[in-house]
Amino acid sequence: MRPLLVLLALSFAGTAMNVWLLSGFLPWFLLPDFSFLAIVYSGLFLPGPLGLLVALPPALFREVTISGPPGSFFLASIAVYFAASEIGRRIFLRAEIFILLVVAGLLAAESLSVVLLLVLEGGNPFSFLWGAEEAVRIAWTSLIAVFLFMDLSGRWQRIQE
Amino acid sequence: MVLKFLRKWWRIFLMAVLLVAAIQFFVRPPGLPLDQFAGGVVTSLFRPVYESVDFVRQRVSSVWSGYIELVDVSRENAELRKEVAELREKVAESRDAVLENRRLEELLRFSKTQGKQMVGARVVGHDVSPWFQGIFIDSGTGEGLETGMAVVTPAGAVGRIHRTYPDLSEVLLLTDSRFAADVIVERTRVRAIAEGMGGNLCRLKYVSQTQDVVQGDRILFSGFDGSMPKGTLLGTVVSVDRPRDGLFLNIRVVSEVNILSVEEVLVVPARPAIPFRGGKP
Repeated sequence: MRPLLVLLALSFAGTAMNVWLLSGFLPWFLLPDFSFLAIVYSGLFLPGPLGLLVALPPALFREVTISGPPGSFFLASIAVYFAASEIGRRIFLRAEIFILLVVAGLLAAESLSVVLLLVLEGGNPFSFLWGAEEAVRIAWTSLIAVFLFMDLSGRWQRIQE
Repeated sequence: MVLKFLRKWWRIFLMAVLLVAAIQFFVRPPGLPLDQFAGGVVTSLFRPVYESVDFVRQRVSSVWSGYIELVDVSRENAELRKEVAELREKVAESRDAVLENRRLEELLRFSKTQGKQMVGARVVGHDVSPWFQGIFIDSGTGEGLETGMAVVTPAGAVGRIHRTYPDLSEVLLLTDSRFAADVIVERTRVRAIAEGMGGNLCRLKYVSQTQDVVQGDRILFSGFDGSMPKGTLLGTVVSVDRPRDGLFLNIRVVSEVNILSVEEVLVVPARPAIPFRGGKP
């Protein structure tokens, strides 16, 4: 129950903060995607149905606050959860560099997929500057993930012991 | 054999299925019954987000205007600090209300000059993703809003309604890459298709190299495609490039409305003449 509540609070507060900060206070690339982090964390560290249960609220938050086509970001977020879960089961080691690589890899994969779909659809709003900004967002979110995941997983471990 | 494979790799299999479904959702036209069901869930989920956002915004705004500005005044006017502080406090308290009142009056005047009944709405949130450009407004199907309706301000156009829920709507901004509409150049009446290109910019497509378009020209919606009200201002041309090899001009237009600073908008409750499909008319 505790992981669910903590991650739900993290996801909600992060999403609300982003929605507010975007109103002209901060550029989008300085805002870490907290909902995405909550989904990846639940995939990497929380076993079984609990992980999926924890991943559902942030996936819904992403669906609500991203103005993409209806339903697409919820499904994509759950796919990210299963990808993180598979990585967590097979190749993941609990070390800072792995967390950094996994989060950055998943963020980059998601971003490239959306860009590819939009370009195939005929739109091309992306420039070199946008790419640089997106790289900053990915790097910034991944760095925050290292501290957040190490801290949270340490706390859960102590609670379980 | 297959079962053994699936038992071992079911997560990967499920992930692939979800991604295929997500891509299908991405490219299909909106408006399925599932969207209506999801609408209820979405509104109940998003309401606490934007209510808490609004609460924090109000508090920070009152702290900003009621405290920080007073500190500045006291530094400049040490002798009259108390008197000025009292006056400033009163002004600060009413400043937001006065500004809001002025904006609303302007919206009302604009609505009357357009000769159409418009629906006023407040902006309650912004799209948080790097790929799309959208805002959320606090009016929805309860106020008669439908997808495809135009969203404007007295300064110019903002976008089109993309999704509607009972008391919330999502607006696709005209700078989003999925936005496209028929426009004309005010000075020369040259027609083009405007398409969002991120930031505060749009591009004009299919304008022949022989046409007369120069920097500073104002671009208006033509109304020919029925997606936006005729004569609404889109923006001003900021650059015109004539490529040696291409058939068409490369024209960039900066939106007249600073979309990040918009707080109130008007929705034109006229049904789009052409059915709305995923952002593009």
